[in-house]
Amino acid sequence: MTLLQMLIALLIFPGGLFVLVNGLAYQWARRKLIARLQNRIGPRWFQPLADTIKLMAKEQIIPDGVNALLFTGLPVLALTGALTAVLYLPIAGLPSSASFPGDLIVTLYLLSLLTICTSLVGLNSNDRFSVMGALRTLTQLFAYEAPFMLALLGPAVVARSWEISQIASSWNWLIVTQPIGFGIAMIGLMGKLELPPFDAPEAETEIVAGALTEYSGRGLALFHLARAVELVAGLTLIAAFYLGGLSNPLDYLLKTLLLLVALASIQTLLARLRITQTVGGWWRYGVLLMLAQWLVIMLGRTL
Amino acid sequence: MAEKFTIPIGPQHPALKEPGHFEFMVDGEIITGASVRLGYVHRGIEKAAEGRNWTQDIYLLERICGICSHVHALAFCLGVEQLAGVSAPPRAQAIRVLIAELERIHSHFLWLGVAAHEAGFDTLFMYAWRDRETVMDALETFTGNRVNYSANLLGGVKCDVTPGIASQIYRAVDNLEERTRHYLNVITSDDSLAERTRGVGVMTPEQADQLGVMGPTARASGVMRDIRVVAPYAAYTDFPIQPVTETAGDLQARFIVRLSELFESYRLIRSILDHLPAGDLKTRMPRRVKAGETISRVEAPRGELFYFIRSNGTDMPDRVKVRTPTLCNLASVLTLVIGRQIADIPMILVGIDPCFSCNDRAVSLVDNKGERRWTWEALRQYGIDYYRRWR
Repeated sequence: MTLLQMLIALLIFPGGLFVLVNGLAYQWARRKLIARLQNRIGPRWFQPLADTIKLMAKEQIIPDGVNALLFTGLPVLALTGALTAVLYLPIAGLPSSASFPGDLIVTLYLLSLLTICTSLVGLNSNDRFSVMGALRTLTQLFAYEAPFMLALLGPAVVARSWEISQIASSWNWLIVTQPIGFGIAMIGLMGKLELPPFDAPEAETEIVAGALTEYSGRGLALFHLARAVELVAGLTLIAAFYLGGLSNPLDYLLKTLLLLVALASIQTLLARLRITQTVGGWWRYGVLLMLAQWLVIMLGRTL
Repeated sequence: MAEKFTIPIGPQHPALKEPGHFEFMVDGEIITGASVRLGYVHRGIEKAAEGRNWTQDIYLLERICGICSHVHALAFCLGVEQLAGVSAPPRAQAIRVLIAELERIHSHFLWLGVAAHEAGFDTLFMYAWRDRETVMDALETFTGNRVNYSANLLGGVKCDVTPGIASQIYRAVDNLEERTRHYLNVITSDDSLAERTRGVGVMTPEQADQLGVMGPTARASGVMRDIRVVAPYAAYTDFPIQPVTETAGDLQARFIVRLSELFESYRLIRSILDHLPAGDLKTRMPRRVKAGETISRVEAPRGELFYFIRSNGTDMPDRVKVRTPTLCNLASVLTLVIGRQIADIPMILVGIDPCFSCNDRAVSLVDNKGERRWTWEALRQYGIDYYRRWR
């Protein structure tokens, strides 16, 4: 890979510009879908982009008594993590721009970086709502992370590889053979993105905006972008693993949008869970179901 | 967490639609103590009422609440009519009840939406408020206003039911009855919502008695407190209502009571429209009201609304005292949240359907150390000096 190719992969496709635009477009699609399902009009197509530009242009207020370096640095780190993860994914149905044996594990950890950064800024923010939000974010992380990882490792076991591009190119419709894993991966993605019903960490009627309460301007915009990128990354990963891989851009568009519709529907249907219910639900049902799934996979492999 | 960690809710907070200040002491996610401070939206309406004549006061008092405005005017008019020894014609009384029940529908639908939003169930919120538009439209056609209907006069009402209006109300009620049945089904059968409401904020009948709660909040705990039944006013004697009570006392029961009593409202509205008494809309009312004092109680959507009115024989009231149901119900919140989780605070608070602006009757001025309070004399002198400076 030449320097030019590397720069293009980092800044334009798939790493930088493309995935940001893709993320904002998907955020719009999700918001519009939910609005229509809720009998509302919903935002115009450029609304997420307009919000981002507006926030980028606004002053960032750094509260007294916080570590300014962490306060401004952590949002950048969160977005960096999400953008780096994208390099290992078959974005737009094209081969991933980087890969090595074991990149699945790295990607999963890079995707967790957003959550960890969110909780760190909450603890750094010196605000009661932020601290409560940060604690809830962390608590929720411990609830969904294990089953979510197990759900994405299931396809890896079937493909006998820890490399995303190899797993994706085995073209298995694992949603048929591992429906539990698919469900848990989807719901885990919602937990990761803190979408309803897992939005207790940012439940506005309880703790205002959770860990990001003190954020304004650039920092907030970066977190929003990171979340948009993470939405695309999560959908791509699930589509590539469970829906028979991604062979071309059209394939990618269809499958990820299908998943987005499913995501929006779940989000519309449910009321917010209390944080105890989230944790209880994941460990009581999520983990056990996932372990049962693993038992079946293991038995299938040995027999 | 050994030391006390306080979560402030308000005066400005997304969970509160109006300013109020709550402080919750928490241990992790569990609440160990609660306190409330009110008075952020004190508007001096009672004092203002003393400086205006009886007719002007209707407009003023109707603006105490933006949701249940009609019942305020109704309570005031009934009280003043009682003082003056005048009674409104039967047709006017029936129309007053008709509007009061339409207003109850609008208020309960609004509450359902807000409560669903507090639970993070925005879909129900949006749908409930869409359906609320039906009754708002009917009220607008009927009285000319979506809120602050201004339908009452001393000694009667302003607006009459024409066949066109009647058929629109019939249609609205048919539509809403079907929707209410659906929502009742949703709140009892939807698991994610039931998880947030069942067994939350349980209030026993004894507690309800002790805390002196009113209206649907009391009825959800099996305590039958409904002024429409125990002391019928206006046309409720001719069109009696069957009270709805629940025994569970939790949040879900408060949902069920509020939605179930809507069916009573629908029945009552149909029955009033079917058997509307003929006759005048208003009777003659003297400009000056005989000296005396009276109490007027009506059932607002949130519970008992209490008016004390004293006249000194002039065309202005000597004293008007208003007690709204929120004041009676608010204490229950502080008791019920203890031992619950932070996530339950907005739910329990919204369970009483609070209305802070209606409730605020006094301001206590505290400095930021929470100590110095103004005496009445000092405050008065401050006011005089302040305006003298700017004159």
